Amino acid sequence: MNTITDFLSYPFIQRAFIASLMAGVLCPFVGNFVVLRRMSFFSDAISHSAFAGIAIGAVLGVDLSVSSIAVALLISLLIAFLSEKTTLSHDTIIGIAFSGAIASGMLIIGMLKGYRADLFTFLFGDILAITNTDLLLLLIVSVLSISTLMFFSKPFLQITFNRDLARVEGINVRFFEYLLFLIIATVVTVSLKIVGIILVTSLLIVPAASAKNLASSMKNLFGLSCLFGLVSGVAGLALSIYLNTSSGPTIVLVSIAIFFLTLFRRSGS
Amino acid sequence: MNALTVENLCVKINNHHLIENITFSVEEGSIVAIIGPNGAGKTTLIKAILGLIPYAPGAVLLFGRPLKHGNSHVKVGYVPQRLEFDRTFPLTVSELLGFTVPPVYSFPFLRGKDEKRHIGELLKVVGAQDLAERKVGNLSGGELQRVMIAKALVNDPGLLFLDEPASGVDIEGQERFYDLVKRLKKEKGLTIILISHDLNVVYRFADNVLCLNRRLVCSGRPEEALTDDVIKSVYGEMMGAYIHSCHEHD
Repeated sequence: MNTITDFLSYPFIQRAFIASLMAGVLCPFVGNFVVLRRMSFFSDAISHSAFAGIAIGAVLGVDLSVSSIAVALLISLLIAFLSEKTTLSHDTIIGIAFSGAIASGMLIIGMLKGYRADLFTFLFGDILAITNTDLLLLLIVSVLSISTLMFFSKPFLQITFNRDLARVEGINVRFFEYLLFLIIATVVTVSLKIVGIILVTSLLIVPAASAKNLASSMKNLFGLSCLFGLVSGVAGLALSIYLNTSSGPTIVLVSIAIFFLTLFRRSGS
Repeated sequence: MNALTVENLCVKINNHHLIENITFSVEEGSIVAIIGPNGAGKTTLIKAILGLIPYAPGAVLLFGRPLKHGNSHVKVGYVPQRLEFDRTFPLTVSELLGFTVPPVYSFPFLRGKDEKRHIGELLKVVGAQDLAERKVGNLSGGELQRVMIAKALVNDPGLLFLDEPASGVDIEGQERFYDLVKRLKKEKGLTIILISHDLNVVYRFADNVLCLNRRLVCSGRPEEALTDDVIKSVYGEMMGAYIHSCHEHD
């Protein structure tokens, strides 16, 4: 029987572990803002709008990662713009964008001839199919997103705490809200290949929610969420190889198991 | 010099006036109380002055110049009426105050001991030094108000706006809170504008009063401006009798 060490000699397994390490830090780091600002539905809408981007990419014959990122960014800006300019509630606008993106994606994919396996990689995710280009993209997005969120951590957290106070203290709330929307959209889209459109939001919110159960400070929250993200990513991938199960769902289920452990720990304390 | 000048300020929503044609000025270093019945537009007035809601027409000048967010020549402190935030937010008092301590744009690992010292000093000013590592969501009403005052003081403001700062705080907490406000005015030379429903507080702590009921009903020193007729017209007969007794006790 092959051991994990034997498996690690395969380049595609090595790439999968590197991807799980990077996403394990990146997604929870950004996910903390999603959880604190109660934006889970937004990140769900963004992942589903990437579906329309993938469909457009397939029709136009462009790289699916590029087209999915482009459409996700556009939809996130549209949501931010409509939230600001209309009196409709945020979740209503997200719901409209969400269903519009799914309907467009389904319509466009229906026009394609033949079976397209690459589309299913995005829909359900396949961390074992990660390429070196995907890793490079994930690395660039990780460095840029985390350093931006860290450098502007005070205004981002101040706005998350209370928008009015942030404005009185001279923070350009509008700019930072758009910036956060763009960061979330980019992170969601580059993480699609790991667990797929349907489950990608869980990579962002579950480790962050687990950390929130235990954290006594913001510093603590960010540290714990990244730790839980790393453990779920690496342990989930290793477990999926050992049990011969799908990697994405196994990673998500490990992170949900951690969530329940932290929930019980909180209830007990 | 006037710390605040408000001229012909109107706030409208769907052609309905929330406040109408308000004009007044506030002298530097004074405490001004804004009073009025519920729905009189007190919070709307403060929010309009702070640029949190749009107004038209009208003009607002802070120390002779208009307020510009992100590029303000005068730092302004604000303690809102009901601070709406997620109480499960795992945020300590030190971290909350740290959001406002300059430099606002920097990497967390580059923030030095100066930030910690500054936060410690601010908490000492408001008598909350023992709260530094407590979670903000776990603070009592009185503790939270003191922390929010410390936060409003971070950038050494010239003008402090307090919107019903002692609501939900017990009597002893209210007393300590207004003593703190008075001390801040004396020691830091702050101009303080506060909304209060408690007319006893107005008589004891305010240099001037603005009585609002969508329009400015009266203004001036409390004992001169708050005549029985004014109070009755704004609050009704019952309140008129109460004010009279407050005034006599003072």
